[in-house]
Amino acid sequence: MSDDPVATSISLCASGDRAAFRALYRDTSAKLMGVLLRILKERAEAEDALQEVYTRVWLRAGRYDPAKGRGMTWLIAIARNLAIDRLRARVAMLDDDGLDTVADTAPRAETRLIAQGEARRIAHCFDTLDPERADAVRGAYLSGLSYVELAARHAVPLNTMRTWLRRSLFKLKECLDQ
Amino acid sequence: MTGTDLHFDDDEDALAAEYVLGVLDLPDRLAVEARIKADPDFAQCVTDWENRLADLNDDFAESPAPNLLPRIEARLFPGSPARKVKEGRGRWSWLAGAVAASVLILAVVATLTPPRVGLVATLATADARLSYEVRSFGSTLQVTRVAGLPAVQGQVHELWLIAPDAAPVSLGLLQDQVLSVSYPVPPAGWTFAVSIEPEGGSPTGQPTGPVILTAVVAGEA
Repeated sequence: MSDDPVATSISLCASGDRAAFRALYRDTSAKLMGVLLRILKERAEAEDALQEVYTRVWLRAGRYDPAKGRGMTWLIAIARNLAIDRLRARVAMLDDDGLDTVADTAPRAETRLIAQGEARRIAHCFDTLDPERADAVRGAYLSGLSYVELAARHAVPLNTMRTWLRRSLFKLKECLDQ
Repeated sequence: MTGTDLHFDDDEDALAAEYVLGVLDLPDRLAVEARIKADPDFAQCVTDWENRLADLNDDFAESPAPNLLPRIEARLFPGSPARKVKEGRGRWSWLAGAVAASVLILAVVATLTPPRVGLVATLATADARLSYEVRSFGSTLQVTRVAGLPAVQGQVHELWLIAPDAAPVSLGLLQDQVLSVSYPVPPAGWTFAVSIEPEGGSPTGQPTGPVILTAVVAGEA
């Protein structure tokens, strides 16, 4: 996978190459910090999560399979999953006071996506969705919004939101898998 | 939307999509994460969705991160060059590689007649009704419950290793089988701890439930 330097670094980590681990941190930590900040909103917590993310990356590197996806995709999945788990745990602890964090997350994916050559396909597929539903999908993916938060934000019942999103995801799958 | 044809073939794939999208609440996410570990076909559905939606990752703006590597490496690599441990022999980096490849992988250790069988720590309640022993077999730590019962249904005992002034690192889940982790003997002064976590282990990577047992690694024998 010479066209995927991140994948190469992860594979080297799996063989215990600590220099590769440092290079991976140098090359990818800004991106993962961006992911964690976008979802967790608080820098101190994002920095704490970043330590945990790279700890997991080193420990799980042996399970990364370059044939199944790009290195950066794998790294971002680890970061997103940790951030969303922490967000949900936080909301559970705050007794549903987490809606305050919703307002500042206007999705701007469309403009950026169109500018990215390799992202044209997903932008095209998002265009096949009702704009409001496309917004809901992007808000969930990029900002970590839950079903409960999405339903409140779009002023629809929870079950309606669930139906919307499942149908939207199905349409996206059909479009993207073509 | 009248398209009754617009449905997933199966709820499994829809669940994988919802997990990757991130909309599920914590109990559902934990259930999915346990499922990913146990079910390769389902794990593949999740990977497929991660790849489908990966182009959205372009919209995460980069944000310069401070250099947290020293703290991360202090967690990952016990026995920095300054520290000497009896297992050390200057082969720490090699051991770290073994840790990288296989820590967190649970395995039952087959019959062992190890050259060095050392008790590293005993984690026990004051009345010894629950007790775990941590033993070293070469570059492997083996953790055995020698008294008491595993956690109740829906919960699990999770083992942590804590370097001085550092965050805990999970060594794995203590269930019915012996926990075997590729990890060197920690230096004296490091702490083992057992916490109660939801099924599948801590969702955050740090202890979330009560810590029920702790033991400090004693000085070198």
